[in-house]
Amino acid sequence: MKIHPREVKARILLHRRMASDYFRLRLLCPEIARWAQPGQFILMRVNELRDPFLRRPFGFSRIFLPKGKRTKPEDEGVLEIYYKIVGRGTSLMTQLREGQRLDVLGPLGKGFWVSEGQKRAILIGGGIGIGPLIPWAEQLQRERRKRPPKSLEESPEVFVLIGGKNRDKILGMRELKKIGCEPQVATEDGSLGIQGLATDLLERELMTQGSKSASLYACGPMPMLARVAQIAEQFDLPCQVLMEARMACGVGACLGCAVKVKEYGSGGIPASPEPAAAGERIVPAGECGEGEMGSAKESVIPVIAEVPAFRYARVCKEGPVFEAKEILWE
Amino acid sequence: MGRGGGQKKEGPSLEIKLGPLMLKNPVMAASGTFGYGEEYAGIVPLGNLGAIITKGLSLEPRKGNPPPRLAETPSGMLNAIGLENVGLKIFLKEKMPFLRKARCPVLVNIFGARAEEYAELARKLSEVEGVAGVEINVSCPNLKAGGAIFASEARSVHQVVSKVRRATSSFVMVKLSPNVADIVKIARAAEEAGADAVSLINTLTGLAIDARTRTPILGNITGGLSGPAIKPIGLRMVWQAAQCVRIPVVGMGGIGSAEDALEYLIAGATAVQVGTAHFIDPKAGMKIVDGIQHYMRVNDISNLTELIGSLKVRRDSGPVA
Repeated sequence: MKIHPREVKARILLHRRMASDYFRLRLLCPEIARWAQPGQFILMRVNELRDPFLRRPFGFSRIFLPKGKRTKPEDEGVLEIYYKIVGRGTSLMTQLREGQRLDVLGPLGKGFWVSEGQKRAILIGGGIGIGPLIPWAEQLQRERRKRPPKSLEESPEVFVLIGGKNRDKILGMRELKKIGCEPQVATEDGSLGIQGLATDLLERELMTQGSKSASLYACGPMPMLARVAQIAEQFDLPCQVLMEARMACGVGACLGCAVKVKEYGSGGIPASPEPAAAGERIVPAGECGEGEMGSAKESVIPVIAEVPAFRYARVCKEGPVFEAKEILWE
Repeated sequence: MGRGGGQKKEGPSLEIKLGPLMLKNPVMAASGTFGYGEEYAGIVPLGNLGAIITKGLSLEPRKGNPPPRLAETPSGMLNAIGLENVGLKIFLKEKMPFLRKARCPVLVNIFGARAEEYAELARKLSEVEGVAGVEINVSCPNLKAGGAIFASEARSVHQVVSKVRRATSSFVMVKLSPNVADIVKIARAAEEAGADAVSLINTLTGLAIDARTRTPILGNITGGLSGPAIKPIGLRMVWQAAQCVRIPVVGMGGIGSAEDALEYLIAGATAVQVGTAHFIDPKAGMKIVDGIQHYMRVNDISNLTELIGSLKVRRDSGPVA
C-alpha cells in the first residue's frame, strides 16, 4: 500500500538537552507516527518565518504508535527526533518550547527492511546517527519476541554498536537497554567502552563471533558509512546505510538531494555464488588492504576497477536507506 | 484535505485567458519545483492549480550536476540541479499517464543544446494528448552548453522561438532569464518570433562559499538563486516587460503568499508561477489561489483583468524612460 505523506501541525511534547550540543524533541503527530517506519524521516520547519528558509530533515529516534487505550500523551502517536547543533537552523531549534507547534511533513522516504536470511542483525551507529537505529532495534526485537520460543535460536539476534567522540556523546544507551539490547561502545578518547571507532567494534565483532548470516545496518557520518560498506563487502554481508544530503522538497520533486549510485543498482555487482565461510579467512584489523580480500571477492574486483557507471538517486525518495553496495563510494 | 482549496461556487471568477490558453485560475506550479506532478500526489490536490509546468525536459535523459546541488541562503536558496531529467521517451511512457489524470493543464518545460532540438521536442509534444503547450527554457543558468547561451541574446532567443513556433501550433511560452542587460529586448524578441506568452524570472546566478574550507558549497560552483530574496527583481522585470509586449507576461520569483502573487498581477503579470515556496509548503500554490479570491471578494473585484497591470504610478514619479 502506498502511504502518502501527511502535512500536520505537531505540538512539541518534550524538548531536552541530552549532552552539550545534542537534543531530543518529541512531537505529537499521530497521523504521521502511525505510518512511520524506522529509517524514514520528516521535514520540519523550525519556525514560522521565512528564515531559515528550508525545512529540515530528521530521522526518528523513537516511534510511539497510537494506542486504543490512551493514558499518556505518547499513546496518541508521537515521534521523537535527536538533533545536534550544526548550523543556524538547529541553533534556532534549541529555543523551541514545549507546547509550541511546528509544521511537519512525513513520513518520507524508504526506511530499513529485513535483509534476507538474516540470523544476526548488527546495527552500527556513529554519534547522533544512533537515533534512527533505535526504533529499528526495537522493531527487530519485537518481531523476535513474536516468534514461538522453539524457533528462537533461528530468529535474528540484534547487536548494537555505538561510536562517539567521548562518553557524553554516546546516546540512546538507556533506550536500547530497555528494549533488551546490550550495546557495545567505542569512544575516540576511551572515556567509555573501548578506545576507537564504531567500525573497530564491528570488525572485532565479525572476527570473534564470525559473520555467518549477519546483516549490517548503519547510520552515522559519511566516512563511517563508507568504512562499514567496505567491511560489509569484505565479509560479503548485506548492509544498509542511511544516507544524508542537503534537501529541499523531501518528496522527490526538486532533485536536490542527489547521491551517486551504481547504474545497474544492486545487479551491478555479481553476487558471489557462495558466501565466504565464517572465520575461514580472518583479516586482522588495519591489514585489510585490497590485496587481503578473500577469494570469494575476486569476481568483484574487475567490476569495481572499471570506470564506474552511475546515476543520481534521490536520497529523499529512493533512500534515505540504501543498500551499501548500490552506493558509489568516493 | 482537498475541498478547502480552489474555487467556491459563488464569488469572483479567477478564470484567465493566457493567449489561446484558458486557465481556471492564474496560479501555476513552476518548472523544476513540482517534478512531474506525481511527487505531490496525495499531498496536494493538483486539480486546484491553474497549470502544472513539468521539470525541464530534453530529448535524451540527463544525469545532472554533481552534489551538493543545494545551498540555503538568506530568504532563499541556490540550486544547481543541472537539468537532470528522464528524457522524452520515459516522460511520455511513465510520466504522462499520471499527468493526463491531473485535471489541470500540463505545460512541458523544454530545453536543448541547439534550436533544432527545441523544435523537435515541441513538435513531438504537440502530438501528445494531455499536453497543453510548452514552456521554452532559454534561461537555465546551470548548463554550459544549453539555455544560458540562448537567453542572453535577443537574436538567439528569436531563432529558438521561431523554430519552435514553426514546429507546433500549441501554446508556446518562453521562460526568460534575469541574467541579462535588457529584459525588454529579449521579451520583444520572443514576441516577434511568435511566442504566445513570456514567463519571468528564472533564477539569478549566484555563488555560495564555505569560508572555513574556502570551497564553493555547490558541486557546480554557481547556482540559481530563488525564493523571497529575488521577489523585488522579479517584480521590476515583470513590470518592465509587461509595458513593452502585447503578449501575456507570467510572473514569478519569490512568490510564497497571495500578497506576493497579487503584487505580480498588479505589476502587469496575467498569471503567476509558484516555485520554491512549494518546498516549504506543498500547498502554497492552492493557498495562494484561495488568497487571491479572498482579496478580490474583499475589494469587490469581479474579474482578474481589473487587477492586471493596475499599478498606480504618478506621472512625475520614477526615472524617465
